[in-house]
Amino acid sequence: MTKEAPDQKTKAADAFLVDDQEHLSRAADDHLVAAYERIRDQRGREDQSNTSGDSKSREAPPADRDYPSDPGHPYPNVRRLFGTPFEREKDRRESRSWAERAGGEMQEWYETARTQPCTWWLKNHLVARHAFTGCMACGMCTSQCPAAEYYEDYNPRVIIDVVLSDDETRLVELLKSETLWYCGQCGSCVPKCPRENNLMALISSLRFLAQLKGYHLFSTRGRQQYAARHLWGGNLWNRACSLYFRNVAADDHPDFGPRYAKYESEVDQQMTRVGASPDTDGQFGGRKVPPETLDELRRCVARGGTLALWNRLEELASEEARKLGISIDEYYDQVRSTG
Amino acid sequence: MTSPTTTVGAPIKEIPENDFFLTPSCVLGAVNPGTEVLISRIYQFLGLRWKAAGDTPESQCTCCTGILSHGDVMTAESTLLVVARLWSIAAAMGFRNISTACVTSFAIHTECLRMYDHEPSLAERVDRWLQEACGRRLQIPEHVVHASDIVYRYRNALAQAMCYRLTEKKTGRPLRVVDHVGCHYAKVFPDKSVGGTDYCQVLTAMIRAWGGETVDYPERRHCCGMGFRQCMIRPNRGYTMACVLKKLESMEPWKPDAILTNCPGCNVFLDKEQWAIKELTGAVYDVPTLSYTELAGLLLGWDPYDIVGIQAHTVPVEPLLDKIGIPYDRSKEWFWH
Repeated sequence: MTKEAPDQKTKAADAFLVDDQEHLSRAADDHLVAAYERIRDQRGREDQSNTSGDSKSREAPPADRDYPSDPGHPYPNVRRLFGTPFEREKDRRESRSWAERAGGEMQEWYETARTQPCTWWLKNHLVARHAFTGCMACGMCTSQCPAAEYYEDYNPRVIIDVVLSDDETRLVELLKSETLWYCGQCGSCVPKCPRENNLMALISSLRFLAQLKGYHLFSTRGRQQYAARHLWGGNLWNRACSLYFRNVAADDHPDFGPRYAKYESEVDQQMTRVGASPDTDGQFGGRKVPPETLDELRRCVARGGTLALWNRLEELASEEARKLGISIDEYYDQVRSTG
Repeated sequence: MTSPTTTVGAPIKEIPENDFFLTPSCVLGAVNPGTEVLISRIYQFLGLRWKAAGDTPESQCTCCTGILSHGDVMTAESTLLVVARLWSIAAAMGFRNISTACVTSFAIHTECLRMYDHEPSLAERVDRWLQEACGRRLQIPEHVVHASDIVYRYRNALAQAMCYRLTEKKTGRPLRVVDHVGCHYAKVFPDKSVGGTDYCQVLTAMIRAWGGETVDYPERRHCCGMGFRQCMIRPNRGYTMACVLKKLESMEPWKPDAILTNCPGCNVFLDKEQWAIKELTGAVYDVPTLSYTELAGLLLGWDPYDIVGIQAHTVPVEPLLDKIGIPYDRSKEWFWH
């Protein structure tokens, strides 16, 4: 077997950044992953590094004086990779292979749970069975629920009523509805419930079930979960955080106004100025996490069974895209912008 | 050595006096990074022993998966493991107290602790999974607090070191400051907050200690509407905007000089949606919205731009600086609406 010259490897790796889904899908798993990691871990020049914006005030202590490795070493390619079809395809492949080799008993539990009735889930899911003990229909949860005020057809008591009924048909109907997705997970209901239910957690548990069973596809907001899987899941898997600073783009947040747009256009300098770590080694916002930490994090995520959901979301999204006659990336864009 | 701290009529919350492992915030790190870095600066200013990472490449910090958990794309078991990994790193560095930069993290860590109490044999299973996953052991921390608990605890010591007070320089009038406590700090586990859900003291005590006047108004405890999937998936963001508008309309009669927050999401949306509300409704509020670390940093005399990072805000903070009498170099910053 001939070895690729290093410049050929680099060229081939960079090509993935502009490839469409058809070309990406033809690449072997290990080639795709290796190419991604090579691009990601490329260091920039020392003179590109963002030195910590140290204090101009005589009193403010420096931010991260104890960081062990070279502070502020830049990784200029992270910004080229995030949110791309290349990254999403790489994540799909890794999600499948990691589920096989690192999933364990919780992976199996969630894959089995998918085939069980919804009523079974309420009695057996770790979160569901602790979230709800009984309801006296006092309405305290609904009276101050911000979502119930905003969304005309939302009433959290409906969710409780369906759960209390233990009726499989009603549960399936709930999981297919928009109703399930209005909750903002604020927890305002939690301290007010006289029965000490945790409605916020119960709704989260039901949402998880809806996705496992594919019922989320029946609602606009449910379909958005495919975008959520890659937005937050992609950030976690690749950057060890739920939100990457370049996700908060001004053109996706016109409601933040022109002052934010200007800030965002200078975000690297502005972050460095205050001691953060945009795409550099460091401890604070925007930091690039070492591959060794990413590996540990991924092992924890996989062992906890999350990849059962991510793989299920991919499988269902792929089917939907096929039915609609569009690519998976077009489907991603569609559910992210409309649902 | 820990000692309980309390305000009159408030439940006692134990807040340790030292030795904190600081876990990061995704939202602060992404949108308001100065606020997060300020936590470490305040810890150092107070002479506290703290760390935000382990000392090897595999022991760096990650997020707690709170957004994924409340966004319903992460299992509880994965969250338990990710959090357990952070506790293991903290313990390895000699820290038994976790302090979180984010209130959702605070609730996530606290929820993990509660699950171990309520679910038989869960701790043994997580310990086994953690060993299988990355060779670490489950080490339950002694305390989980939010970073605002620590600033609350040391509010009087900070007040003595502050160059400025929360008063109007020209008149001496105490500034009227609305406190907005993160829902996941005070509502999910009320017994773990300073003062509980309805009479939470964590921010109002700071306001009073630093010379300001607190404001009570009808929608004081209403959620800011961040809502995880509601704000981060663009077509849903109207809900967030509506919640912010509701609060601004409610507080308006009291003409607040500032809003004080301890939650990353609240800090972002109570600030940033004011512009959109102005564009859509014509209503001008322009209430500067600061985190407790930003306010502390400003009153301590730290540079508003290079240290505090007020330029990250949509509502200009400079009018508040003018009221307090904090000087700033306009040439360092662009100032426009």
